[in-house]
Amino acid sequence: MADELTPDELLDKIDYGTDSGNWLDTTKSVQIRPGMYCYAAKPESVETLGLPNARSWNPTEEDWKLPDNWQQIIHDGIKERLEKFRTFKIFMDVCVRCGACADKCHFFLGTGDPKNMPVLRAELLRSVYRNDFTTAGKILQKIPGGQRLGGNRPLTLDVLKEMWYYFFQCTECRRCSVFCPYGIDTAEITIMGRELLNLLGLNIDWIATPVSNCYTTGNHLGIQPHAFKDMLEFFVEDIEDITGVDCTPQFQKKGADILFVTPSGDVFADPGTYTCQGYLILFQYLKEKYGLDVTWSTYASEGGNFGFFTSHETMKRLNAKMYYEAKRLGVKWILGGECGHMWRVINQYMDTMNGPADFLEVPVNPITGTKFENAKSTKMVHIAEFTADLIKHGKLELDKSRNANRIVTFHDSCNPARGMGILDEPRYVIQNVCDHFYEMPPNTIREQTFCCGSGAGLNAGENIELRMAGALPRATAVKYVHEKFGVNSLCTICAIDRAALPTMCEYWVPEVDVIGLHELVGNALILPGEKERTEDLRMEPLPGCEEEE
Amino acid sequence: MTLKQSLTQNHDQLLKKWFQATIDTYPPQSARILGKDVDRFDNPVGAVTRETLEDVLHLLASDYTSDTLEKALDPVIRIRAVQAFSAAEAVSFIFFLKKIGETVMDSAHTREFDRMVDQVVLAGFNRLMKCREDIFLLKATESKRRIHAAFERAGLVKELKEEDLLGSKKS
Repeated sequence: MADELTPDELLDKIDYGTDSGNWLDTTKSVQIRPGMYCYAAKPESVETLGLPNARSWNPTEEDWKLPDNWQQIIHDGIKERLEKFRTFKIFMDVCVRCGACADKCHFFLGTGDPKNMPVLRAELLRSVYRNDFTTAGKILQKIPGGQRLGGNRPLTLDVLKEMWYYFFQCTECRRCSVFCPYGIDTAEITIMGRELLNLLGLNIDWIATPVSNCYTTGNHLGIQPHAFKDMLEFFVEDIEDITGVDCTPQFQKKGADILFVTPSGDVFADPGTYTCQGYLILFQYLKEKYGLDVTWSTYASEGGNFGFFTSHETMKRLNAKMYYEAKRLGVKWILGGECGHMWRVINQYMDTMNGPADFLEVPVNPITGTKFENAKSTKMVHIAEFTADLIKHGKLELDKSRNANRIVTFHDSCNPARGMGILDEPRYVIQNVCDHFYEMPPNTIREQTFCCGSGAGLNAGENIELRMAGALPRATAVKYVHEKFGVNSLCTICAIDRAALPTMCEYWVPEVDVIGLHELVGNALILPGEKERTEDLRMEPLPGCEEEE
Repeated sequence: MTLKQSLTQNHDQLLKKWFQATIDTYPPQSARILGKDVDRFDNPVGAVTRETLEDVLHLLASDYTSDTLEKALDPVIRIRAVQAFSAAEAVSFIFFLKKIGETVMDSAHTREFDRMVDQVVLAGFNRLMKCREDIFLLKATESKRRIHAAFERAGLVKELKEEDLLGSKKS
């Protein structure tokens, strides 16, 4: 082909210089910088789940209060996981350090820190693996310069600290794996890295405390059942003010058709609360028109699963409550709300962790007859898919003009996009409830979407510099559509996105607002018996209803 | 030739050298990638840095005020304000322009150009402070906006107003 380089041209491009730095050297990298790390897990949160080495510790102090045999614990932990997880073994062995992933990570692109290149982040663990578990590594470590040649190093305290620092600068978004010619899932390396760190009690509090709350109370914020119910009832009052229709939901109803589970962020955190009102409106509509029987649960009151960011055992324990509740209530199948990592847990791990859920039915939309084949094993359907199916079959009466003031773009949340392929359904819904929809550039959406920079438990306040730097690639694309098409609304289907992106926008593109998909649906859906609406779900005037100044 | 004319004439060379010097403030392994001229969405730091520096050079060659300089510098300073730079390192790239100016332009302009760069530095420092203030403000208000606001609307919590607090002090 004409655009291919000739051998001579190719040779001219080779840089024969040697690298001045040595990435194996930890002296610079383990300077743990405020703004980039999250606070350490509180001992009581680690204790709740019976996880090891619960104690107060501070990452910036020299002494991390590790058990004396910590190296042995990590060594045994790696060994156990190499034997248990074939993928982990392959991912440790097959990387050829080609660098295809290097410039694909939002944290690398935003921070400019080379150790945030996915390949180097993974090498933090691989270097130890090579040193302790491979024949070549064992031979090379005995000859002078051999360690550098083999890229292996012994597990010292500095290496451990470096692993901790950088494995909590990865949101497990998997953008890098899209570009890996070997199909290495670098997110799974971070998952393993965090599991190993948890063996020494090295979790962060923004993960450990939600996990503990979820385990004891049912949701990340530790909100008790009556407060959960109070919040939904408050939404019902607001919706009644806006629409004149009572959308009171059902709780723990035995024998309902469908159990609905959503991240608690939708119930307790703005602007997810408006998305939650959208769900209530949709369920009321379907009940009134088609008799659909949906129940909420104050027990399974969390779709999110921060156990996923701790260890596979913790993920399994938290995930189980959805199934238990579905079984206890005797529903046919589960409908899941707009969440990110919840869907990766469900789509990729739930079935083999807590499944098979033989007591549930293969999900069929009773209104359209559509059988959700993709969910026949997990028995759990994504609400974007459910609503898209209803629209496709003409089952929803929608008034797009109520969203006429919204010029929308769609941010694909990493996990639904790359973890389960929910790409077209939300776009289809948006286009049916809004008049103005513009895509961000192709290399920033769908499978190549850029992370919000706050996923995988990193949406804390203390690491805001890291989050803002990590959000830069996403913000650059948002800014582009804002300037080119006047986009003012960034729509997303993930609760962490809804919590994190408003801050991102405020720093990088202040004129853009964040909105959930079902908030748009709730605005557009014409409820049977509703009064003439003059306000949207945020109680702001609908287009055309603004008061004259 | 005036300084402004010289800036226009040497624009490309100034930009090329200033961009490279700025990108070289990153670790070498990163600078290699961030320095590439590729799609702006594949390399936002490189693209924004290049565009900002270009805008500043254009501004210097025409009319500028400290406000317009600050505004032009915003995109690159906004990025450097959240990266692993100290405050000095974050604005250091502007000083590089003095040395580059010496190598590129006639020495007759050196003093005048240095004074011009000083103004850019001051504007840059102003902007860095604003960006850092934005960050601190976001840090302070984020969780309140996110969670407290929803609870407050639902009447589950009540924020005491200043007068309530003062009242309780009196009693």
